[in-house]
Amino acid sequence: MNSERVLACMQCGKCTGSCPEAGKTPFNIRMIVRKKQFERAIEEGLPWYCTSCNTCTIRCPRDVKPSEVIIDLRSALIEDGRIPATIQKALENTFVQKNPWGKPRSKRADWTEKIDFKIPHISETKEKRLLFTCCIQAYDPRCMVIPANVSRLLRIAGIEFGILGEEEACCGNEIRRMGEAGLFEELREENLANLKKYGVKEIVTLSPHCMNTFRKEYGDLGIRVLHYSEVVKGLLESGALKLKGHYDKRVVYHDPCFLGKQNAIFDEPRALLAKALGSNPLEFSRMRENSLCCEGGGGRMFFDVETTYQRNSEVRVKEALEMGAEVIATSCPFCVMNLEDPATEKGISVKEVSEILVEVI
Amino acid sequence: MKTGIFICHCGHNIKHTIDVKKVSEYFKKFPSVTVSEDYPFVCSEPGQDMIRDSIEKQGLDRVIIASCTPSLHGEMFKDLLKKSGLNPFLLRRVSIREHCSWVGDDVEANTEKAKRLILAGLYSAAHYVPLEEKLVDVTKSALIIGGGVSGLSAAAFLSKMGMQVYLVEKEAELGGHVRTLKNIWPARKEGKSIVDEMVNELSGRKNVEIFTSTTISAFEGFFGNYQVTLNTPEGEKKLTAGGVIASIGFSPFDPGIKPELNYGKDERIITTLDFEKNGDAIKLPGKPRIAILHCVGSRDEQIGKPYCSRVCCINALRVAEAVKDKYKDSYVESFYMDVRAHPRGGEEYFEDTQEKGVLFTRANVAEISPTPAGIVIRGEDTLFSETFEREFDLVVLSIGMSPPIDNKLIASLLKITLDKDKFFLEAHIKLRPFDTAVKGIFIAGSCSGPKDVEESINHGRASAVKLFGFLNLGYAYVDPFISYVDPKRCSGCRMCEQACVAKAIKYDETKRVVHVEEAACMGCGLCNATCPSSAIGLKGYIDCMIDDEISAFLEAI
Repeated sequence: MNSERVLACMQCGKCTGSCPEAGKTPFNIRMIVRKKQFERAIEEGLPWYCTSCNTCTIRCPRDVKPSEVIIDLRSALIEDGRIPATIQKALENTFVQKNPWGKPRSKRADWTEKIDFKIPHISETKEKRLLFTCCIQAYDPRCMVIPANVSRLLRIAGIEFGILGEEEACCGNEIRRMGEAGLFEELREENLANLKKYGVKEIVTLSPHCMNTFRKEYGDLGIRVLHYSEVVKGLLESGALKLKGHYDKRVVYHDPCFLGKQNAIFDEPRALLAKALGSNPLEFSRMRENSLCCEGGGGRMFFDVETTYQRNSEVRVKEALEMGAEVIATSCPFCVMNLEDPATEKGISVKEVSEILVEVI
Repeated sequence: MKTGIFICHCGHNIKHTIDVKKVSEYFKKFPSVTVSEDYPFVCSEPGQDMIRDSIEKQGLDRVIIASCTPSLHGEMFKDLLKKSGLNPFLLRRVSIREHCSWVGDDVEANTEKAKRLILAGLYSAAHYVPLEEKLVDVTKSALIIGGGVSGLSAAAFLSKMGMQVYLVEKEAELGGHVRTLKNIWPARKEGKSIVDEMVNELSGRKNVEIFTSTTISAFEGFFGNYQVTLNTPEGEKKLTAGGVIASIGFSPFDPGIKPELNYGKDERIITTLDFEKNGDAIKLPGKPRIAILHCVGSRDEQIGKPYCSRVCCINALRVAEAVKDKYKDSYVESFYMDVRAHPRGGEEYFEDTQEKGVLFTRANVAEISPTPAGIVIRGEDTLFSETFEREFDLVVLSIGMSPPIDNKLIASLLKITLDKDKFFLEAHIKLRPFDTAVKGIFIAGSCSGPKDVEESINHGRASAVKLFGFLNLGYAYVDPFISYVDPKRCSGCRMCEQACVAKAIKYDETKRVVHVEEAACMGCGLCNATCPSSAIGLKGYIDCMIDDEISAFLEAI
């Protein structure tokens, strides 16, 4: 159980004030904690609004960890089978095919067909540096280009790396947050066994969500876990990777919660953009530690709820338009997917940072 | 040997989980035990009379009291032995309450454990010898570290009583933070005038030496005779002080470490201290919108400050009032979690401020975002259960008190300890709030935890009274637990000399052995534990006592 500190809550409202879902949806995390203190019933649809952005937990002055309380509530709902159909489907798919879409596991390395060189299996590499793809980027047609791009960058810089191919299983970051601790444990063990089997020494992650769980929830790995932006920043600085010219568009950077707030990687993606643009990217009024969540994490992406309210992605796109940005850059597949629809509608594009880099390489 | 064992019931506290009768009966059969009794309250007057009677009539030469923890009533029972004509160091206390009856509720197991604990005491006490408290000469002078209001009030009292005072201040001016405050509630006085009044009281007193822009570079010695080296603008200065008062104040919380507040990024976001120093110069529109945030840097476990700083609610009220008084048409909203206007008159001050039109919103503000039009505050009004986003012209953060920046330096020099929040730790939160664990070293003011001006002044004065009591006679008694060396066993390796913090171990070049300077030894036992030849013992705590106590726990009974 993760809710053991609920009784310490003093109902100050820092959590709800910080919550990207508060106000516009029926979700009030402070009230949920209060109800939990008194063991009152909590409406069963509510816990699924949480995006696991973790802002409440980072800021809670009594360290109540409200986002963990949500995970406990979801676990209890799953135990009772009272769970939205879309969430259930995602969990089942992950159980069977090790990805929430239920796409065949055998096609997990299909994204490599988009590139003109062969990426070795991790067992065939010397340095045992693993590029961990992430489910979204392995299967989603929009996001498959991201691992391909990063692979190109690493290859040009002469960095040796390998992949697990169809042996890669979902990292489980969202699965744990959806309350399925048992399934998370299974995925974790499967990935750990592979890391051990192939003697992996370093993991380069593409998604901040995978990085987060590897760093914090896989136990003491004894393996360095990096986000690719940290690696590429080093390559640009050392000169191993050289850019030709500048990306000539007005770009604003959106901080992903799992990269920024939760893991304090604010400057690396900005440094990559600064090199590509020749100047610092534009900034949203809510940035870095105060960045506005895209509403994709923690299973929120799979929660089908009628939205009559304004989505945060729309707020972001509106502000980007107001400041005259042509591109919203970010560094997380969840953010890319959430921001893209409203952005396309308004005629601006959303790009993962690597997509901008490959255009000037 | 005639030992008297007195087992306390502590009312219900010990008796309910220990069969006290069984224990007292058990010890009656020991040849060295003359009396073994149990009694409802050994600390009561009849209880004490019983012990005194036994000592006088039965001629006891050891007394074992099995009751509460030794630190409770320790001095009282020692006095009882003295009054009964027995050396107080022949008393042994055994804790069968904190260490036994309060721990578990298995009566049988507790009774057996109590027997073992008392048996260990009995074995150990067999080695006791009468000891005499040591008389040491003390220097009638005090070193006061920190010239804020608590240090100044301590200096004023001690110097008035005729004691030599050395007042050391790191900054160029005396008065600390109070000097910078414009309007101190409830006196409604400028901080500078309070400080000047205190400094004037000291001026002209021949027994006060003030060192400003001065730090302490070395601190050695022991109670009554501390050797201090000062680093003054004129160079190094050495002096001897009988005791010390550490009154180094606090440091204001830096809201910059909380990124969601954006402090330091926009000049329209300021602290209460900024407001005090510069409030009049701030340019505001005719109908200004002002937000005041309570509890910034207090009651926040994420930044390691779980405590309430106790002064900031009043500071927040004071800012609200000042703005409202200056701008009648202003919109002033105070965001609070709880209003703790605890000093006398504080609650009324809160009410007055409300009546002047200041609005209070129960919210721990989530984020502050500067925009060109105004500073946007985001949060949840927990009473309406509504999230809000409001725009202000000025945001004032009511910052808390953080530990002084020199806390670790001074603590390591004086060998005193810090509490979990990194303020100086008192010897006992209720019974000895001004003392530290080191004899003759006291703490005063906000360096021992957040305090307002009035409390700091009182705290300084109280510490001064305590120190005066310690030094005024010119001599003092200290515990007789001092080290001694068996020269036959000493190999002259001198490891003890390095271990000794009191510099009490001296090496004799001709005899090639060490000896202990009794006056300097503070009985910490470091030399005892360091000696590889077991040549050093500590009076009152000799090795065979410990060995025998251990065997009492291990042997079959």
